[in-house]
Amino acid sequence: MSDATPTALNGEQLSAQLQRLAAQAGLRQWDLGASRGTDTSVQVDRGEPKQMKGAERRAVTVRVWNERGLVGITSTSDLSEEGLARALDGAKEASAFGNPEDIPAFSPLAKAPLQSLDQPMMESRSILDLLDRLKDAERNLLARHGAITTIPYNGLAQRDSERLYINSEGALRHQRLTTASLYLYARAEETGRKPRSGGAMRLAYGVDALDVEGCVAEAAERTISHLTYAPIATGRYTCVFSPEAFLDLIGAFSGLFNARAVLDGVSLSQRESLGEELAVPFLSIIDNGLHPGNIGASLFDGEGTPTAPLTLIEGGVLRHFLHSEATARAFGVAPTGHAGMGAKVSVSPDWFEIGPTPGQPGGEEGLDRFAPDGRRPGGGDLVVIDSLSALHAGVKASQGAFSLPFDGWLIRGGEPISIESATVAGDIRTVLKSLVGFEGPAKVTPSGLCPWVWVEGLTITGDA
Amino acid sequence: MPVLTGLPGDFQDTAWRGRLEPLLAAGRAAGADLVEVFLERSDHLGALAEQEVITNVSPSFGMGAGVRVFSGRHDGFVSTNDLSATGLMAALDQALAMLGLLRSSKAFDGFEGLPPLTDHAAAKASWLQASPSLTEVAARLLEGTGALARHGSHLQSRRGSYSRDWQEVLVCASDGTFARDIRLHQSLGLNVLAADGDHRASVGRRYGTQGRPEDLRVWDPEAAAHDLCGSAATMLYADYVEAGQYPVVLANRFGGVIFHEACGHLLETTQVERGTTPFADQVDQPIAHEAVTAIDEGLSEGAFGSLSMDDEGMEPQRTVLIENGILRRFLSDRAGETRTGHPRTGSGRRQSHAFAAASRMRNTYIAPGPHTPEELIASVDKGLYCKAMGGGSVGPTGQFNFAVEEAFLIENGQLSRPVKGATLIGEAKEVMPRISMCANDLELAAGFCGSVSGSVFVTVGQPHILVDTITVGGR
Repeated sequence: MSDATPTALNGEQLSAQLQRLAAQAGLRQWDLGASRGTDTSVQVDRGEPKQMKGAERRAVTVRVWNERGLVGITSTSDLSEEGLARALDGAKEASAFGNPEDIPAFSPLAKAPLQSLDQPMMESRSILDLLDRLKDAERNLLARHGAITTIPYNGLAQRDSERLYINSEGALRHQRLTTASLYLYARAEETGRKPRSGGAMRLAYGVDALDVEGCVAEAAERTISHLTYAPIATGRYTCVFSPEAFLDLIGAFSGLFNARAVLDGVSLSQRESLGEELAVPFLSIIDNGLHPGNIGASLFDGEGTPTAPLTLIEGGVLRHFLHSEATARAFGVAPTGHAGMGAKVSVSPDWFEIGPTPGQPGGEEGLDRFAPDGRRPGGGDLVVIDSLSALHAGVKASQGAFSLPFDGWLIRGGEPISIESATVAGDIRTVLKSLVGFEGPAKVTPSGLCPWVWVEGLTITGDA
Repeated sequence: MPVLTGLPGDFQDTAWRGRLEPLLAAGRAAGADLVEVFLERSDHLGALAEQEVITNVSPSFGMGAGVRVFSGRHDGFVSTNDLSATGLMAALDQALAMLGLLRSSKAFDGFEGLPPLTDHAAAKASWLQASPSLTEVAARLLEGTGALARHGSHLQSRRGSYSRDWQEVLVCASDGTFARDIRLHQSLGLNVLAADGDHRASVGRRYGTQGRPEDLRVWDPEAAAHDLCGSAATMLYADYVEAGQYPVVLANRFGGVIFHEACGHLLETTQVERGTTPFADQVDQPIAHEAVTAIDEGLSEGAFGSLSMDDEGMEPQRTVLIENGILRRFLSDRAGETRTGHPRTGSGRRQSHAFAAASRMRNTYIAPGPHTPEELIASVDKGLYCKAMGGGSVGPTGQFNFAVEEAFLIENGQLSRPVKGATLIGEAKEVMPRISMCANDLELAAGFCGSVSGSVFVTVGQPHILVDTITVGGR
């Protein structure tokens, strides 16, 4: 039976403890990533609490280098002295199977200054307070339209969390955050018609800062907009992706920019792809975890490297890959702050900024082709893709192919009608070269910043 | 080399009874209708081989508790990694507070203590030690990637992955539930990426069992590699499928994901509670073609979704969901029974202590029918044969979709050329009556299902089935 363990992460104390335990285990080089948090969340169902949850969680991953220089890790939720000692032993055992061809090292930037970011710490609220707020939001959403009968998926949550990175050379990173989230996913049904659904989500640094009214309004608008629906004929269409949908699509194919995937041979890009024209000349994609719109941004990655903006595509040309320490070393560049922690270190993006390349026309010529009618009366058929589903099943990242269900509208003669049920299919490389242009200002979403994006020639499968 | 474990003690330790009984009594004294505590110890080992090298080994271990308090139709749930008496009591206090209840110093005489432990784990104590060592795991994975190299061509990437999840659980509740179990799930996956110029095909297979420590040792990497490389070679030069409406023959084994996604989720009481199943009021009414009988059970020996008890301490059942097209039962857990009236079926499942249990599928399959697979294919003039399925999902209005990994056109009752990029989409209510023929070759396949209570081990299965018409997304 376990003893009580620390309720907060103390970097200096943990560092001293690891130093001592590692010495006892005969380990000279190690690093550690730890996290701790408390979560509170509520769900409601027609004015009643459906589920109320609280969680106190902690996790630590220790990574060690053995006498042959090979690396092993072990993770645990047990932060007691005994648990940490066991984790070190486990990591040492695992290091016997470390890959001699790909040995991670400490990031050369693990002690570099971190950029400052305005991340206000906000007070947490009682769970009964959360419950009242969510009941109000549910009631308001139900009142928006007679056809909205339930909000089957909803939740209001708050989190107080901290994370830590330390290593045997004295690096010490620590970050504490408060965040809150609200999601409302409504279901609407009219007699004799199929049920329709739509939703919205908001993030903030605390419950008091959540845009509840905006979330209710957006969820209502999206749901109601699907009430009048019709099947769509299968064919090729010009599609307009919402910012959320396009960010989801780019995120699903982020292997294009991932140095780990490149080295593993499972990316659509190769080492020599840098400098190649990957997209239309007015497209830029920047990974910028430090953008103020990225609520809950991490200031450093799993290896302690500071988060920083990185241009991935500029003027349609592939400029940089996302890196860990090991991949950066293999490419002869600096780590970019996108690493996880492991014996084989994963690499992943933070938060995308997608839009026109500065100094380029911004795709406006493309939209000019449609501007005389576009989404207005008299225009040709357009498919608006509001949200994509089932990305885990419908994306073949290493092939570049996708076939995904979506919610959206067919715009015919300027009039939108919700599409009953359809999929959109294509190849990401073709999509990037088939962008027609951007529409409207860029919108901040939980996964990035992006305007509406027009793409030509995608296959839509429908029931008509 | 020893197994990477070494957690202190176990839940057989009688000291746990002394720690848990006051918790249950305190919860009841505070006014809760029922208090449930789920304790968990876990030990995980993951390993990855790429080409001829072990590139990642990721062991982990942990402990945790989930405390759930019911009052009327409502419940509060708190999870913690702190299993000390103080930590557990703090979790109880928090759960009580969610329901407006407060622990008091008043004695409660309605809880008479826990009964003797129902120990499903007694014969399973050696499972962790008996499972393959890391050395064995590494050797087998490298045999697998080596076999892929021998059987495949144009392979740009060869991967073998292994995962072993050992879990000891102790469930107690103020209604007298007091049970312990040990679970051991092992899974092994092989994946290849084949590339030739602009042609690319990525194909994978996963094998998984429960409660069989020896299974990795008897796995046949040659046969697995032969099967996978055959699929990769077939799909590498395949054209994209033309989108449209087709009759579809779905192969057995993982083809069962269509029933899992299209219908199974809608027969969980969590969906009844949410009002998101079209079948809520249709017990004893037809919801599928009379050719369809569907079962969910936790009993099949060694199957990935089998359990000695669910995560609420109840022994699993064989639940006939649909009998000759007639809806018979919903899958229910403790909360589902309270809120919907559907009796519990031993289906209360959760990924870990961090999730409250919910009604979830176990081993779910369509029962075999009278036909041969060849008869199904011969009945189709122009359609699609889905030999291997990818993943899928179901939306809040019952719309489902899933990806097809390996498919062939059916022309004039015969299989013709391979096609790729197909996605099957539809709605459960519409597609279930269209499953008009079932073959006699039921087989099961291991999988993972993610839903409200996290990712759980499941089995899907079916014989070959014919769906008269379904929307196929493609190019």
